[in-house]
Amino acid sequence: MADLLERGDLLAQLETARAEGGRLVFVGGEAGVGKTALVRSFAAGLGTPVLHSACENLTTPTPFGPFLDLGLELGDEPRQVATAVLDELRRAPLLVLEDVHWADGATLDALRVLGRRLEATDALVLATYRDDEVEGDHPLRLVLGELATTRAVVRISVPRLSLDAVCELAEPHDADGGAIHRLTHGNAFYVTEILEAGSETLPETVRDAVLARASRLGRAARRLVDVVSVVPGRAELWLLEIVAAGELEALDECLTSGVLHADGDSVAFRHEVARLAVERAVAPHRRRALHGEILLALVPTSDFSRLAHHAEEAGDAAAVLEYAPAAARRATEVSAHREAAAQYARALRHADGLTAGERAPLLAAYAQEAHVIGRHEASAEASLEAIEHYRRLGDTLQEGALLARLPTTYISLGRNADAEAASLNAIELLNRLPAGAELVAAYCMQASLRMLNRDNADGVVWGQRALAAAERLDDEEGRSFALNVIGTSHVMAGKIDRGVGFLLRSLELARMQDNEVRINSALGMLGSGLGEMYELELAEIYLREQIAFGEPRELFVGYAQAWLACVQLYRGRWDEVAPLARIAVASRSRISEITGLIALGRLRARRGDPGVQEALDQALELSLPGGHLQRLGHVRAARAESAWLAGDGEQASEEARAVYPLALEKRHLWFAGELAYWQWKASALGAAPEWIAEPYRLEIAGTASEAAAAWRKRGCPYEAARSLGESSDEESLLLALAELDRLGARPAATQLRRRLGIRGPRGTTRANPAGLTARDLDVLRLVATGKRNTDVAAELVLSPRTVDHHVSAILRKLQVRTRGEAAVAASELGLLQDR
Amino acid sequence: MDTYVILRRSGWRSPEELGEAAARSTAEGERMSDDIRWIRSYVLEDGAGVGTVCIYQASSPEAIRAHAATADLPVDEIVRVADTVIVRPDPVAEAVAS
Repeated sequence: MADLLERGDLLAQLETARAEGGRLVFVGGEAGVGKTALVRSFAAGLGTPVLHSACENLTTPTPFGPFLDLGLELGDEPRQVATAVLDELRRAPLLVLEDVHWADGATLDALRVLGRRLEATDALVLATYRDDEVEGDHPLRLVLGELATTRAVVRISVPRLSLDAVCELAEPHDADGGAIHRLTHGNAFYVTEILEAGSETLPETVRDAVLARASRLGRAARRLVDVVSVVPGRAELWLLEIVAAGELEALDECLTSGVLHADGDSVAFRHEVARLAVERAVAPHRRRALHGEILLALVPTSDFSRLAHHAEEAGDAAAVLEYAPAAARRATEVSAHREAAAQYARALRHADGLTAGERAPLLAAYAQEAHVIGRHEASAEASLEAIEHYRRLGDTLQEGALLARLPTTYISLGRNADAEAASLNAIELLNRLPAGAELVAAYCMQASLRMLNRDNADGVVWGQRALAAAERLDDEEGRSFALNVIGTSHVMAGKIDRGVGFLLRSLELARMQDNEVRINSALGMLGSGLGEMYELELAEIYLREQIAFGEPRELFVGYAQAWLACVQLYRGRWDEVAPLARIAVASRSRISEITGLIALGRLRARRGDPGVQEALDQALELSLPGGHLQRLGHVRAARAESAWLAGDGEQASEEARAVYPLALEKRHLWFAGELAYWQWKASALGAAPEWIAEPYRLEIAGTASEAAAAWRKRGCPYEAARSLGESSDEESLLLALAELDRLGARPAATQLRRRLGIRGPRGTTRANPAGLTARDLDVLRLVATGKRNTDVAAELVLSPRTVDHHVSAILRKLQVRTRGEAAVAASELGLLQDR
Repeated sequence: MDTYVILRRSGWRSPEELGEAAARSTAEGERMSDDIRWIRSYVLEDGAGVGTVCIYQASSPEAIRAHAATADLPVDEIVRVADTVIVRPDPVAEAVAS
């Protein structure tokens, strides 16, 4: 096949992936470079059954669209969908999924799950995407990032054709290969279109080439091609029988000429680039009319996403208002919140003719979905507009209910004063009406605000008021919310067991009601609240649970990822911090951004890496408008630490002093503790109160080894080594130094070396004769106990691939052939004794 | 992407070991090409072993560490480059390793 020049290497890579089995290959490349040709040619050469599906270029795609096209029984959750696909892959071991850069959120979630579960199978999934369109915070980019370390996932990239290849293709057409290569830069689709168009002068753009080719069709065929061009993806034959009955006889001509190709009971363009070129050349009035006809023909399918698309393109506002909200509700049902928000936004674009009473619920629904996906700015704006409508309509209940929800969005934006005003306003309005669930929600919101302000006793009081009202009204959702706030307030006051008890009751209740938002919130409060109180092991469990629960449902988990980054930092698992923090920083939620930046800034400071200041400056800037201890305490503590590590004690103490009085006022055990500690380090502290968190109290009391033990008990190796480094006996100091070196904590280790009067090691591998790195040693110790690489990987939280690397490095460096010999050699060299 | 200088002191015992490390570095670098780009390295006479000073472009210091961890390269220090002044081209034409 002519357009498969220069693809031998790629085909070989695909063959390797197939032979290994259990692989998800992302095939990237620009539009028209030949991704489809590559995967089709590969699939055709296999002779096995192939599942084939594609994502469509709809502004708002149908949730799970490409999987629905496979005709599988799916269910509503990504995990169920992945299971269905994996089952099907047992029958046909190859799935080709095209154009995943257009995939809806639900499909991407299923793909994520698929990527993780594929390794255990023999199947191969090929997913093509335009790598030049996946930039910034494109959802696919996040998926690729998350799957980057998954062994099952491989990325290959299809390059443009070389000059030689283009000349070879041009030769039979007697065309000037050099000129074509200059024009097309070797884009395979563009080259083919030019050659097939066969015009005298070279078409200036790929669009011209496509149109030149289409212009050689007869009238009927040309009209048919126009109709097909306004149907994204594929046009079903039954659809064409309705909207293009007169032209259908020309289908053969379209197929023979290669402008269209048949795909089961549908026809499609050879390439989306071609479809768009033709679609744009259709006169606007005719295009609108065609969309209108297609809309009518599609009504019986009840595919609301498709209907909403054609309704909008037809300029049919009434139809948009009918189908877009229906598509949104369907999307919400399957937790495709991104698509739901987009469909409500589409409806609102056509809502000019609606009355205030009709607009308001659309706005409220949009605000809800926009909040869920983290578009807080847009959500707040829509809420305010809806509230204003309800106020003018005199609908106090709806006005109060929306006002009571608004603070959550404001808090995410760091607009605390606005949150407070909305909350009090809501209570005032709703108190005029008979008590109902709306009033309970308003009480809960006020309780949350007190808790967020770390006025923990007030949080409990308002929470109890909400709980009592909820119980009187039999309002289960209200009960779950109230229990959540009461529990979190207790946790923040340091009453951990009591607080966790309330939160678990809230969680249980939410699970019984199958209330996703409340489940997500209870897990989130358990995770982030326990993280703030340095109950790290528990925090990690709940944060991971929240991410696993929320992510496939498109619930907002950016804050959980940010806190998990902090927790992993404090637990000494530094390699895991950056990927989590990065996702959080890229989320559109301010609180996640702040927390992610703190994790990143502290990580860099502790490693002695560049970029500390910019991360922590940005975190501070984002925290200042809110003025909450919850943010400021965290940021200032991180800034004090980084100043200290940079050798500036005065700055460290100044950062700590900036928020220390607030931490004392709120009696925050950990913030007050850490802020006191940095002032103490800088010899700028009079006395610290007795109630601050234990490890800091012990440090300030001058009992360094007891403080170190307290940190170790909490699972904080860096803080433990730092404390031990304060002690006076040399043995402890050397132990502390070894630990800091193991962690890669260069600045702290350098400070300690200076105290000990020793020069730094010239290289990380100096410490032992065989030249093993610290990581090699970690691996070797486990290998020596007879563990397999996969177990070692799990234990050290590394990828199996990394462990493979280390094991071969170890064998090489120890000059042995087997793992057993390595264990013996290591023991002889005394490498297994320390630690 | 920013430019960074990475010190890897006495990372290897011989030029052969360094060569193997360079191959791993290249392979991993290609896999992470969105985040990291190896520009050049200077191989150091470094006591009994071999060290390097490497110039990379990277999206963050963490990307450099992740690359080093997967390719099993030591990292002693990462410094961000604020500006580049090129007076003469590098005197050595042959490729050096990470």
